[in-house]
Amino acid sequence: MKPAVLCVVVAHNEAPNLPLVVADIRAQQKHLDILVVDDGSTDRTISVLPHLGVRWLQLPERMGVGSAMRAGLRYAARNGYDVVVRVDGDGQHRADDIAALLHALDARRADVAVGSRYQIEQPVRRSQRLLGTVLSIATRQRVTDPTSGFCAFGPRAMRMLAEHHPTGYPEPELRLFVERNALSVVEVGVRSRPRFHGQTSLTAGRIIATTARVALALAIVPWRRRVQEVVRA
Amino acid sequence: MPDRVQLETLVASIGLLLAVFELIRRRKLTEEYSFLWILLGGTLFVVSIRADMLAAAARLAGVANPAALPLVVAVAAILIVCLCLSVIVSRQRQQIERLIEETAILSAELRDLRSAPPVK
Repeated sequence: MKPAVLCVVVAHNEAPNLPLVVADIRAQQKHLDILVVDDGSTDRTISVLPHLGVRWLQLPERMGVGSAMRAGLRYAARNGYDVVVRVDGDGQHRADDIAALLHALDARRADVAVGSRYQIEQPVRRSQRLLGTVLSIATRQRVTDPTSGFCAFGPRAMRMLAEHHPTGYPEPELRLFVERNALSVVEVGVRSRPRFHGQTSLTAGRIIATTARVALALAIVPWRRRVQEVVRA
Repeated sequence: MPDRVQLETLVASIGLLLAVFELIRRRKLTEEYSFLWILLGGTLFVVSIRADMLAAAARLAGVANPAALPLVVAVAAILIVCLCLSVIVSRQRQQIERLIEETAILSAELRDLRSAPPVK
């Protein structure tokens, strides 16, 4: 039986990009169900959503990508999906790589498949290289793209993360969480693409704050209790 | 004969206890968070009427100047209160996150129900 897959598109103020992102996914994966999670957008996103032909969740306040993912994962778990693919609403994740992620989950029996932009070439930013090295040591496996948000979750990971997806700047902490809770990860090479329209929300001030959070996560997550998988009837 | 400092602390501690009592009475402060303050006010009250207890405690702690002890204790108490407040704020943040996620899911379900044809 083919697993039921839900594609969760997280978006904050991506009104111009959302139609392009949805069209890209539709063109590559005709039968994939799409759920847009609007993370408290203040632009025209609300008026764009009903015309996309997708289902959507609207967070009334901006809670961050981690909280938005938790909502999407919980929606998926409650509505009988087996697999969730996360695609960002800015267009930097290419829909033609989704198949590779889903294939990796299935063929390599992994709980999580992470799209890595740096499997062949090293990341340009030294901070990312350093973070990759540190995470590789902490998780005892090779982490080539520590900040990738392009990933697919199998049933076990989906149900665990529906309750416990990290928040803040969640991607590096997610790798630590996954290792702590004995979920298996595979990295899949993907091609990166610049976002369609607009600016990234990452600024110098936020980079310092996120570095501190990642450092804290490195020290704390291995000492956390393992979480229980919640299976609802 | 109580000295003036003792009188002042006595008034301050009674004032604190009354303020806490009034806040609880008006439901501005819920009971679960009030014990911290009642405990603090009560300690201050006891210490202000029995200054000899303070001197004894200072001797026990090895503090040469008994007046320095309440200062140290006060700073420690404030730190503990701050830490408790941070824990409360963190818990509320998690509760708010959860609530917002749930409202988003529920309103999506409501939207689906409304757009579905009515069941005969």
